[in-house]
Amino acid sequence: MMINKREKNSIVIFDIEGEIRRSDITDVTLHQLVKEQLEVGRKHILLNFDKVDFIDSFGVGEILASYISTHNLGGKLKLARISKKLFLIFQITMLTKVLDIHDEEASALQSFFKD
Amino acid sequence: MAERRLHKILSAVVKIKPGEEVLAILVFFYFFLITAPFGIVKSLRDANFLDDLKVENLPFAYLSAILIAVAVSFHAKLQSRISRRLLLQSTLAFFILTGLLFWALFSMPDHWKGLALIYWMWANLFVVTLTTQFWFLVNDVFNPREAKRLIGFFGSGGILGGVAGNLLPGFLAKPETANRLLLASAAFLCVCLVVVSVIFSWLKANEDRYAAAPDRDPKAVRKEPRHVGLGDSFRSVRSDAYLRLMAWIVLATGIVSTFIDWQSKSLIELSPAAKANYASFFGRFNAGILVFAFLFQLVLTSRFINRFGIRTGLLIYPVIILLCSLGIGVLPTLGFAIAIKGSDKALSYSINQSSRELLYIPVLPEMKYRAKVFIDMFLNRFSKAVGGVILLGLIYLVQRWPFAAIGFKPIVWVSFASGAFILVWIILNVKISRAYVREVKGQLAKKWERADGVVADRMDVDTAKLVVDAIESRTQSSTLFALHLYDLARQNRLSPEIRNLLALKPIEHSSSNTRPLFEYDASPWIADFEEPGSPVEMDTEIREILALEEYQKVMGDYAGKVLEDKDARSETARMELAKAIGLMDGRSALTDKLDDLLGDDSAKVFQYSAESAGKLKKKVHVPLLARKLADPKTCEDARSALEKYRGAIAGALSDYLNDVEEKPEIRKQAASLLARIGNQEAADALLEALGHGPDVLKAGLIDALDRLRSEVPEVQFKDGVVRVQFAAEIETLGPAKNPSDLLPLFKLLGLVYDHEDIFRAYQNLLKGTKNSIAYAVELLDHTVSQDIKERLFPLLESFSGRRSGDSSP
Repeated sequence: MMINKREKNSIVIFDIEGEIRRSDITDVTLHQLVKEQLEVGRKHILLNFDKVDFIDSFGVGEILASYISTHNLGGKLKLARISKKLFLIFQITMLTKVLDIHDEEASALQSFFKD
Repeated sequence: MAERRLHKILSAVVKIKPGEEVLAILVFFYFFLITAPFGIVKSLRDANFLDDLKVENLPFAYLSAILIAVAVSFHAKLQSRISRRLLLQSTLAFFILTGLLFWALFSMPDHWKGLALIYWMWANLFVVTLTTQFWFLVNDVFNPREAKRLIGFFGSGGILGGVAGNLLPGFLAKPETANRLLLASAAFLCVCLVVVSVIFSWLKANEDRYAAAPDRDPKAVRKEPRHVGLGDSFRSVRSDAYLRLMAWIVLATGIVSTFIDWQSKSLIELSPAAKANYASFFGRFNAGILVFAFLFQLVLTSRFINRFGIRTGLLIYPVIILLCSLGIGVLPTLGFAIAIKGSDKALSYSINQSSRELLYIPVLPEMKYRAKVFIDMFLNRFSKAVGGVILLGLIYLVQRWPFAAIGFKPIVWVSFASGAFILVWIILNVKISRAYVREVKGQLAKKWERADGVVADRMDVDTAKLVVDAIESRTQSSTLFALHLYDLARQNRLSPEIRNLLALKPIEHSSSNTRPLFEYDASPWIADFEEPGSPVEMDTEIREILALEEYQKVMGDYAGKVLEDKDARSETARMELAKAIGLMDGRSALTDKLDDLLGDDSAKVFQYSAESAGKLKKKVHVPLLARKLADPKTCEDARSALEKYRGAIAGALSDYLNDVEEKPEIRKQAASLLARIGNQEAADALLEALGHGPDVLKAGLIDALDRLRSEVPEVQFKDGVVRVQFAAEIETLGPAKNPSDLLPLFKLLGLVYDHEDIFRAYQNLLKGTKNSIAYAVELLDHTVSQDIKERLFPLLESFSGRRSGDSSP
């Protein structure tokens, strides 16, 4: 898994690439990266899953932990371009009711300003 | 008025129903007028034979019975070509004319000695033909239950005729002029001819009552295949296990009867008193025996068969004969000779003949007439020939070494051999009495199964509900739809048909931000479940997500918000949450939220909550579900959920059932649920509640017990408790107007007797033809105990006279 950080309109965007799975844990996890941003006061975070092939339950745990951390600090964490299958899993687990999921990055970015 | 008086008189001796009197009396006299001349013919047959050809030639006389096959074959062909009426009348005319011819021949001073053998054969033909024709008519006219009621009465007519026919030679016969009695025999047959004509005229005049079964029309014989010869009849018997057994019994009976005849005559011949005037001796002897047989038949046969059944009816005769035969073997005296012949005549003409005719009850009419030709006409006589051959061989053998060296007389050997044949006969009788019940059952088709059982067996109700809910959820919430799809996939129920069904209609709207992603036909979405291994992988992944600590926290907060917002708009959110909780592990903290959801006022929310409770099976949810049993809107869902707990809640349901302060509706549902649980604990709880519960619960409890019994046949019910309830139910029932009123009684009987048999009988009582109603009663007669019969049968008999549809619009 590779995670690249960029910024747009003071929103931190993490472009995630590859697979997020338990067996592939790197030195720095997604949750740690999000927490680092929160610690420096960046409270609007977008996770872009455009190049993610697979996410296992560990990956979902990372997303949720990131969400909790952001939410507890009054910030916002949104997801964009997740696969159909992951969306289906999120629906089954009712996470679509909690997580803010967008089809496109642009609409996700726009939504930060609407909230 | 006259009919009523006649009915009153006949009722004293026979269980007769209004409208049956005239025909019953005519049939009684028909039998009387056959057996009376036969009494004369038979006494003369024995006397002429012993006078002219002596006892040592008797086995040859027995052997002559083989020639009866020719006559039987001719009769069978005649039977298939002419109407029953013409057959009976022409046969009577034949025996009148030939009887007169024998009188003329025997009157010649130096008649040929071999005439006694010809006359012997004629006498045998006489009895076999006229008796079989009589039973043909009885089978034509009366259904099984009617026959069973009236057979004792008809049989007593035959025996009374035998008494009269034997008394005539007994008192009037003189050695030189005995054969003049053949004139009296012809006179009896002439009167019989008139009675037969009257019977057919009466039947024609009462076609409405006696045309129910096509076989009742005497001309219906023409509907049978033409050329039903002896060979056809034999093949019919050979092809049917039950008829084969009957044939073996007739063969054994004939062999034993021949042995008995020889045993008794061998000892009678040694008596000087008998030797002086055989015709008179046999006449008086036969008459005396038949008086006893008549009284036995009239008073005891029907009552005996009704009380002890066909099996005892079939066994009593051979057992007594066996004892007498062994008695002769030990002490060959005239006393035992009279005892064995007396028992033979008295019992064979009464209880044995009646029981044997009843064995034909479960045989289909066309098969019955075919079989009777071979069994009753041919084999009945041929068996005596077989007995004759065995007897000849036995007598020859025992007079030679090594048997002769032992020093026993032939009569001792024959008596013991007779005993061996009687034992075989007894075994065959036991076998056929078992086969009889099987055959009666075979005549009764089970017309339907319990509807709830059929639904449970043949329909996957859970899948049906899930699919319907999934279809409904497509326009309601994509989350709910996804949850349903997952549920279906997880249970391997997402068949191609169901996928097609779910993909038929596009999702109409979505509140999600991901609108473009799912605003189209559901087919591609469903396709995600079609990837190889997809449902399994997905299931693992989802379960792992649900177990995540982060997930529990995030969703716990979400659930709290959803539950706080009780307005109608959040109903869908509560439904989704309720559905999702069902996917979680029972130990998950989120499942506690189900307590609130189960108390939700929305029936739809409760539906999904109950479904999840059924999956989690947590005992804490049982009272919440039980409370909803009283509400028609939520009852079904609560039931479905509680059913999933199976035996784990038998005790709790039993408490609800027995709680007098609980709502009756909940108690009823508890009874029904216990039936679905279907274990011994549930059965005991239901039966106990039946003993103590209020009347308002009784019907439900009996139905629950019946359902449990039908679904779990191995569960046992305390016989004594059921009988007490049966008695109480019959008391409260009062006079039943329809067979359907008796359903609770049959449900109770089904608890302690074979459930299949009881309901086979009930369904045929309710919806059967007149004959199948009779078979149904017959089956019950052989299934339930005497005390139950005494209570139930008076109710059943009032229906067995009706045809199906008589009591229903």
